[in-house]
Amino acid sequence: MQPDSTRAIVPLPHRLIGEGLVVLALVGWWLMARRLPEFILPNPLSVARRLIDLFITPDFLQHTLASTWRVVVSVIAALLIGGGLAFLADRVPVLRAVVDERIKPVLNSFPSIGWAILAAIWFPPGDFGVIFVEVAILIPFCLINIGEGLRAIDRELLEMGHSFTRKRARILWRLTLPLLIPYVLAALRIAYGIAWKIALVSELLGAPSGLGYLMLRAQTAADSPTFLATCFAIVVIFVAGEKLVIVPLERRFAQR
Amino acid sequence: MSSASASAVDSAWRGTLPRRAAAHLFTLLFLAAWAAASLVAPSYLLPGPVEVAARLWGFATSARDLGHVLASLRHVGIAIAVSFVIGSLLALIPYYRPEFRFAIERRLGPFLNAFSGVGWTLLSVMWFGIGPGTVIFAISAVLIPFALVNMAAGLANLDRETLEMARSFTRRRLPVFLRIVVPSLYPFIFATLRIMFGVAWKVTLTAELFGGSSGLGYLINLARQEFDTATIMAAIVIIIAFVHGVDRLVFAPLQNILSRHYAT
Repeated sequence: MQPDSTRAIVPLPHRLIGEGLVVLALVGWWLMARRLPEFILPNPLSVARRLIDLFITPDFLQHTLASTWRVVVSVIAALLIGGGLAFLADRVPVLRAVVDERIKPVLNSFPSIGWAILAAIWFPPGDFGVIFVEVAILIPFCLINIGEGLRAIDRELLEMGHSFTRKRARILWRLTLPLLIPYVLAALRIAYGIAWKIALVSELLGAPSGLGYLMLRAQTAADSPTFLATCFAIVVIFVAGEKLVIVPLERRFAQR
Repeated sequence: MSSASASAVDSAWRGTLPRRAAAHLFTLLFLAAWAAASLVAPSYLLPGPVEVAARLWGFATSARDLGHVLASLRHVGIAIAVSFVIGSLLALIPYYRPEFRFAIERRLGPFLNAFSGVGWTLLSVMWFGIGPGTVIFAISAVLIPFALVNMAAGLANLDRETLEMARSFTRRRLPVFLRIVVPSLYPFIFATLRIMFGVAWKVTLTAELFGGSSGLGYLINLARQEFDTATIMAAIVIIIAFVHGVDRLVFAPLQNILSRHYAT
């Protein structure tokens, strides 16, 4: 999970072993797929073709985009709500136990399918229900990480800040938020991962579109090329989002 | 909590009492709001707290319901054991055979880590049909990357000097492994199990709902089809109580003991 530190020093033979094993796995899959019926294990080529469809054909692209924008909205909303709760616990001492001993443990232990079922009962199928479930699943991860950050902020630095100005907004903007950035980024990375891996259950119940919906539909119809292509599409989007958004953000703010 | 200082007793008294009161008040307000909302909403949408409590009592007294709770426990226990062993073995390969480090940490690890839990669940239903094997496979597949990443971090953190000293005593690998490597990994093993326990419960119900023939997730699925929302809520309450209770009463004290042992 730790990016980069080892990137430059991978010796060529090690790299060859790594890529060789990937190729070997694909060949092994292809050989096994020739003996097994298609609904158990489809040919890798037909899965690859469907995977490309998922990013090109409008019919499939619609599902891919629906899931992606729901994940983006949910991660941002969860960061805001989780961060807000963490700030509330930090700034209003009376509420600290309410947040740390009531809201946090309950949200943190709440089973994800529980949210999905409740949302399917409470809300009509659609974006709102899905985003509600994803946000509910992601909030505790953001709350824990940002709360950790607020606790770790150096009291002496804050005191120094107070000796320069008495304006709270200025201290918040110039000191607290910059010091929090590493924790917010950690929360972002975790929430993003959980959103794709676990919060997708929200699309299995009560969603008329999205990759989760597509996956369940393909599985019920024994259309295993589409099903596996959907799984791989999630891997591709997940890795792309991490490489193209999260790692650059971390690099940008780590250089300060 | 840790910022207590010289006048600790005084400030603790002034600090904790209102906070505790606020927390209990919050609980009461929440229950009251829930009860009020349940009076307005129909029971299949939102059963009241009393109804859910009655259903909870039913859980505690019904052999069938308790059996499902035990089945879930069994699924989680077996899956944690299986994925911990596989994840640790995967983490150990690059430690002894560095030429595989790239293959495991940059190819297999990220792939497993990016594969969606829902995908594993439905895939194992397709391959193995419905039953406990499917549930255990799906949970284990989700947990393996957590074990791999954490144990790899532990192995990368081993103290080189201690290992060198051990090698100057013996060249056999097994004693070094058992006497030095494993004991220095204890804190990481513990942290790994704690994380895995938390994640396991997040995915177990999903796996049981789609691929199980027993367990709380299966029970929830039956209740869902009958619009028996009280049972769904009771199952959720059981899980919250169990997960939080184990974390508070088992993991937290163990963590204290461990950090006392391994404190620097």
